[in-house]
Amino acid sequence: MADLTPADVRALAAALGLTPTEDDLLEVTHRLNAMLDALAPLATLPLDTVEPAPPTP
Amino acid sequence: MSAPLAFTPATELAAQIREARLSPVALVRTYLDRVDRLDGTLRAYITVCREQALAEAERREQAVARGERLGPLHGVPFAVKDQIDTAGIRTTAGSRLLADHVSTADAPVVTRLRAAGAILLGKLNLTEFALGGTQRFPFGQPRNPWNVEHDPGGSSSGSGIAAAAALAAVTLGEDTGGSIRSPASSCGAVGHRPTWGLVPRAGCIPLCWSMDAIGPITRTVEDAALVLSIIAGPDAGDARMRPRAPDDVLTRLRDGIGGLSIGVVRELTLGADMDAEVRAAVLAAADVLGTLGAKVEDVSLPLVPLAGAVFMALADSEGAGLHQAWLRGRPGDYDSATRRRLFAASVLPTAAYHQAARARALITREVLAALERVDLLLTPTQPRPAPPIASGQARVTSKADAAARFFTRRSYTTPFNLAAMPAISLPCGFTAAGLPIGLQLAGRRYDDATVLRAAWAYEQATPWHRRHPQD
Repeated sequence: MADLTPADVRALAAALGLTPTEDDLLEVTHRLNAMLDALAPLATLPLDTVEPAPPTP
Repeated sequence: MSAPLAFTPATELAAQIREARLSPVALVRTYLDRVDRLDGTLRAYITVCREQALAEAERREQAVARGERLGPLHGVPFAVKDQIDTAGIRTTAGSRLLADHVSTADAPVVTRLRAAGAILLGKLNLTEFALGGTQRFPFGQPRNPWNVEHDPGGSSSGSGIAAAAALAAVTLGEDTGGSIRSPASSCGAVGHRPTWGLVPRAGCIPLCWSMDAIGPITRTVEDAALVLSIIAGPDAGDARMRPRAPDDVLTRLRDGIGGLSIGVVRELTLGADMDAEVRAAVLAAADVLGTLGAKVEDVSLPLVPLAGAVFMALADSEGAGLHQAWLRGRPGDYDSATRRRLFAASVLPTAAYHQAARARALITREVLAALERVDLLLTPTQPRPAPPIASGQARVTSKADAAARFFTRRSYTTPFNLAAMPAISLPCGFTAAGLPIGLQLAGRRYDDATVLRAAWAYEQATPWHRRHPQD
């Protein structure tokens, strides 16, 4: 998947009523793209039959 | 001023007070003197309850003189992370947003420590809202007592500092993803994250409902066990807490570890990201546990390197959900790193969150399956010693920079948060530069007693807990 751009992130934030500054926006974009990359390997796991419930005792 | 007195284990301080060999007032003054002398630099405290503590110490001293029945921490000063409510004393969560927030009631953990006779000395510094990564601390930059240019770990930074530098007898922290164990490791203290559900969460400003856990940071394993034995137990107001008291972690502490099996987690000890001195110290600790009678073996947990990212997707999303109103209305009152982290979590796609929730279930299954084969899992608490403060204050400059900073190191502690397990960090050595190294032991849910028993056995066999930072 292509990286999100600062404009993409601004639009997503605006939908939630969030208004990051220009200074914030670049770093938020880096953080979000890093998170999505780090989660990408989950697509290779057999998750379809796994219930997403918190495993609290 | 007596440094040896301040560093004396809380169990021994309490015994001296019970036997009228030590005055609670003198003990409180000893710690207040140290706070006055050292905390201008270390910044462990946000609020020091000087007058209240001295008045309470007077009452405790009178109770000893009257021969009253005394609690197990009678007259012993404690301090708590400033995320935990204390009646009439502000609880800031390390944020300007709560700079004037004053609770009307003590959290149950504080109530229980007071009922045990302990004296509240103050409220301890933390990364903003316990998130980690704060760049500008509104109540002062906390510093590592072993080298003040280095980070003390977080988010319970002040709790780690106060324990290691003897600015309180015992402390409480809170651990969502490693926030007790990280400062314990960085500062050379003992930090125990209890099984989720063992210690009441009420009165603790939340970050992540399903992983937040209050626990002790102390200078010895026995002190951690004593504090845990006091704060653990059912909470009538919280149906998700365990409805019965914990096993007696104190009476089993000295049972020895003969016959215990301990799995050294391969992925977290042999990774390329691991500092060589940390690896050597942790593998040496495994050898020591072997000589004490444990059966030490290799264990592979292939999914745990994903734990850091899975944890952040879940915990940050929960945190972002809690903070939406302030993120919209008062974004400028957050530290910039907190605000950016919460903004990023706010816009994380829901599908990614749900994948992470499923992955959490898989990681949990893998870790719990390993604990059907061995009694404990062993890892370093952190892959590297405490970094310089300046390195954490630099802004994130790229996707690769963010990835390098945030995910890998969290994979060392977060598997056990995701799986709701108990885990402890205790000192297992020092780098050539004199920074502490932490050993982590994790156990089965509600088997905190075995975790503490193994930690105590290791501690007694090694000299690390007897080293203290220079004033």
